[in-house]
Amino acid sequence: MLRWRKLATVLRREYLSRVKTRAFWISTAVVPVLILTFAILPSLLITSTGGHYTVVVVTPDTPLVAEIQRILAASEAADTGLVGKLDVTLHQVEPAADAAGQRTELKRQVVAKDVNGVVILPAGILVDGKAEYISTNVSALRLMGRLERAVAAAVVHQRLTGAGFAKDKVDALTRPVDLTAVRIAEDLSESQKGAAERSFMLSYVLTFLLYMTMMFYGYYVLRGVLEEKSSRVVEVVVANIRPTELMLGKIFGIGAVGLTQYALWVLVLLNLTLVGAMFGSPLTEGQAAYLSPTLMVFFVVFFVLGFLQYSAVYAAVGAAFNTEEEAQQMQVVASLVLGLSFVLMFPVMANPDSTVSVVLSMVPVFAPMLFFLRMTIQSPPPWQTVLCLVLLVGSVLATARFAASVYRVGILMYGKKPTFREILEWARRS
Amino acid sequence: MEVHLELRDVSKRFARTVAVDGLSLSVPRGVVYGLLGPNGAGKTTTIRIIMRITLPDKGEVRLSGVPVDDDLRERIGYLPEERGLYRKMKVLDHLAFLGEVRGLERGEARRRAATWLEKLDLTEKAGAKVEELSKGMQQKVQFAGAVLHQPELVVLDEPFTGLDPIATRQFKDEILAMRSAGTTVLLSTHVLPQAEELCDHICLINRGRPILGGSLAEVRARFVRPSLRVVTLAKGTEMATVPGVAAVRSHEGRFILELSPGAPAHDVIRELARLVQIESVEPLLESLEDIFLRAVGGDHAAVA
Repeated sequence: MLRWRKLATVLRREYLSRVKTRAFWISTAVVPVLILTFAILPSLLITSTGGHYTVVVVTPDTPLVAEIQRILAASEAADTGLVGKLDVTLHQVEPAADAAGQRTELKRQVVAKDVNGVVILPAGILVDGKAEYISTNVSALRLMGRLERAVAAAVVHQRLTGAGFAKDKVDALTRPVDLTAVRIAEDLSESQKGAAERSFMLSYVLTFLLYMTMMFYGYYVLRGVLEEKSSRVVEVVVANIRPTELMLGKIFGIGAVGLTQYALWVLVLLNLTLVGAMFGSPLTEGQAAYLSPTLMVFFVVFFVLGFLQYSAVYAAVGAAFNTEEEAQQMQVVASLVLGLSFVLMFPVMANPDSTVSVVLSMVPVFAPMLFFLRMTIQSPPPWQTVLCLVLLVGSVLATARFAASVYRVGILMYGKKPTFREILEWARRS
Repeated sequence: MEVHLELRDVSKRFARTVAVDGLSLSVPRGVVYGLLGPNGAGKTTTIRIIMRITLPDKGEVRLSGVPVDDDLRERIGYLPEERGLYRKMKVLDHLAFLGEVRGLERGEARRRAATWLEKLDLTEKAGAKVEELSKGMQQKVQFAGAVLHQPELVVLDEPFTGLDPIATRQFKDEILAMRSAGTTVLLSTHVLPQAEELCDHICLINRGRPILGGSLAEVRARFVRPSLRVVTLAKGTEMATVPGVAAVRSHEGRFILELSPGAPAHDVIRELARLVQIESVEPLLESLEDIFLRAVGGDHAAVA
């Protein structure tokens, strides 16, 4: 039986003593910047491969080279600023009589970085479609992909003109298809065009935000409990507050700090959207449509449940040990589980409907991140949502109960570092 | 005298040790009651059982005849031996928080916190962080935090450890002031001269069991043995043969001769003077410490 007045007293202290600090306001300002950096930087590093490249093309067919160059220039013109323009210059070289000698010479040039790569288009290219690309770095995906598409398109173009089609006719016939991804929800409503890429980014950012906040606020609980224990404040307080009330008050108070931070971010975001709408920025419009109220509600629900689950574990760890160093080992285990859900994000994102994804997203330790992630990409059937929440709530209650029984004993236990078995023994005893 | 706090046959066993072993205590209302004993005697466990921080395996604790539960313990003030404060909190906020924890309404808690700060000459530190206070000031705040809800019983576990002489004096004055106001004070200590100075009633425990207890006057009357402090070049073994001498101990270059019950001191002195050459001799009143050393020693001997 909890006495809510006592719990509220603790909650209020935990909340105010944190929200009143300068650190809270600084982190509120800095974390979004950090998250955007962390979330976007890796993908930028992978794709941001703009720049100038020189590629040698070995072929006797000058019109083919001209066609490839034309297609590459068109692609470059379509490059958006974010990933950087990919500017490729081709140099045609006639095939020499000594093919092997020429190949060696060209390889030498590649290794010496005089050129970025060599494309060999044999005389029979228009018939058998076999070509070769030589480079020191075949993993420069973007350049290779671009060359491959340009060569293929140019070859098709030459084949058609060779077959007697007029040049303008060929352009019309080979015009690429623009496939627009349309996402539908349970109620058959459609999301706007171009949402797919944007939704990928936002799914990632939102789930990453969940990950970061659960980790940080969980860690605050650990730190808070350790501080209370090592400073012996807990001795003074437990005379009138039961350990369970103290533990829950602390967890709720710190969780409320997290929610406050979210509320501040949402306020800023809404204002930005308003400002964006005034200036007609399409980006913020798209994002605003994507951030539906339902999704935001589930974001909060999953944060709250996930935070409760992890912080209860952290509270137990904090109570069991005497110093941060001692607690580190257990803390690493807890954050590994959280880290695992982070790693699992990528397969789930790639294939949110697969049985593996569905099952993984239901497992309570992963659910806060993975099920939410699925919600951002598609709309899982309601029974899955209900089942996931029931499992998660059940797991939160069980974790809290276990944590409280460890906490009750550990918080007043000083001296040597307990073994894992001793901790389990406490839980059994109380 | 009315019994205020009562422990009935309380036992608590930890993994390998029996911390409290069938302990019964009766603390009269309005006295300063000393729970005494060597380190590891079970004092802190007993106090934690009174405060329901540790639950006993057996036995019960009653306050004015009513079994203590979590709500009733708000009528008890408690200062643990190991005590601390939130370092980053402001002094007034902290004291008010402790008041609320002890069951006061928020407004009332703030009012009393302010009053106590004034009483402790800390008003100008009300807005400072706890970590900016000196250790002595922090100890005063802790003391105030234990009693600002005006409990009818105050339990202090080793209240004087780590205090400088000035703070010690202040704590003693506060304890005596509380007694004058009708509050019952139970304190534990292993520093016996302090107990002798403050307590009306005492109970000595060892290995979780009471060894002797009662009002200070009773304990003195029953357990104090007359002894003599003798300065001499003679050997202790020679003096032990004198009729009426129960035991001889050497202490700081002198001999302490414990007399047998009923043996007249002047007869012993005369006999001593006949036997050995004495530089000086004076009668000695045993302190509580002597009594307890003997009692605890006897307890250990009895067990061994």
